[in-house]
Amino acid sequence: MSPLSEQFLDRLASAAVREDLADAVYTTLPSPIGPLVVVQGRHGVVRIAFEGEPLDRTLARVAAGVGPRIVHSDRELAATREALSAYLEGDDDRLELPVDLSLVGGPFRRAVLETLHREVHRGEVVTYGSLARQAGNPRAVRAVGTACATNPIPIVVPCHRVLPASGRLGAYGGGPERKRRLLALEGASVRDA
Amino acid sequence: MPAAVALPPFWSLIERHGDELLAHARRLTDDEAAEDVLQDALLRALRAYPRLRHADHLRAWLYRVTTTTALDLHRARRREVVTDEPPVPAVEAEYDDGAFESLIAPLAPSARDALRLRFVEDLDYDRIADALGTSPEAARQRVSTAVRTLRERVAP
Repeated sequence: MSPLSEQFLDRLASAAVREDLADAVYTTLPSPIGPLVVVQGRHGVVRIAFEGEPLDRTLARVAAGVGPRIVHSDRELAATREALSAYLEGDDDRLELPVDLSLVGGPFRRAVLETLHREVHRGEVVTYGSLARQAGNPRAVRAVGTACATNPIPIVVPCHRVLPASGRLGAYGGGPERKRRLLALEGASVRDA
Repeated sequence: MPAAVALPPFWSLIERHGDELLAHARRLTDDEAAEDVLQDALLRALRAYPRLRHADHLRAWLYRVTTTTALDLHRARRREVVTDEPPVPAVEAEYDDGAFESLIAPLAPSARDALRLRFVEDLDYDRIADALGTSPEAARQRVSTAVRTLRERVAP
């Protein structure tokens, strides 16, 4: 039994996208902070997963959120791959990718991540408290922590730029080392933990 | 739109079953056309996927979609030669078993039973043998003869 060729699978995925039969497309790419799984829906990137998060679980959640017609294609996501690689390699200091926050549960968490994406730029950092204020609920510091911890689109929605009031590194879904490297790449200074 | 039932990501089905579906397409047509048949079948399956009412027997469903696609292709080719044959309506209802049933309708009852056990119930040959009261080898033979008959009927 001969396996399906790469060309066959590429052709199938591209036809699915062309005929609007794909709810989402995913790709895996190497990066300085380890391999990334990137999933993009019709309206933008819906999910970025770091190494160590099981692919089948990642895709099952995307399927439940945006639909089960998920196909794999490096080619269809070439522009997204290039933008992420250029940013993470330090070749480009802008990362302008459309995002789709469909996988975010709850209006406040969505407001937090939208605010973060829109207002906290490269080289800047923000505390959980001030982000709570910016998102419209100054007392919801803990909920901001949860929103960041469950951010489905790390890197692009920059939860690595959110720090505790102490100015130390704090927690990160992808582990503190990735947070440190992303902040260093962006030239933000953090007190050593 | 998210489906009403929890369906697995489509690509995981292709990774799991794509190779055997290609082998199945080869049995139904020829080596040259098999990839085109499977490509077409998987796009049909994608079109129907969100409308599936349950997530059971997805492998068997993909076999049925591949089978009907291969036979539609044969019929379309034959119509190019024999023009007095009425056109076959395009199979849109891949989430339904109607297309498969009408496809196997001309076969003998025993052949239909064998094909249903294999491609609708998704049983392995041991369990098909139990259902038919034969040996697994005879069950395999019966399914493969039925597939061949189907192919010869549409592509003489």
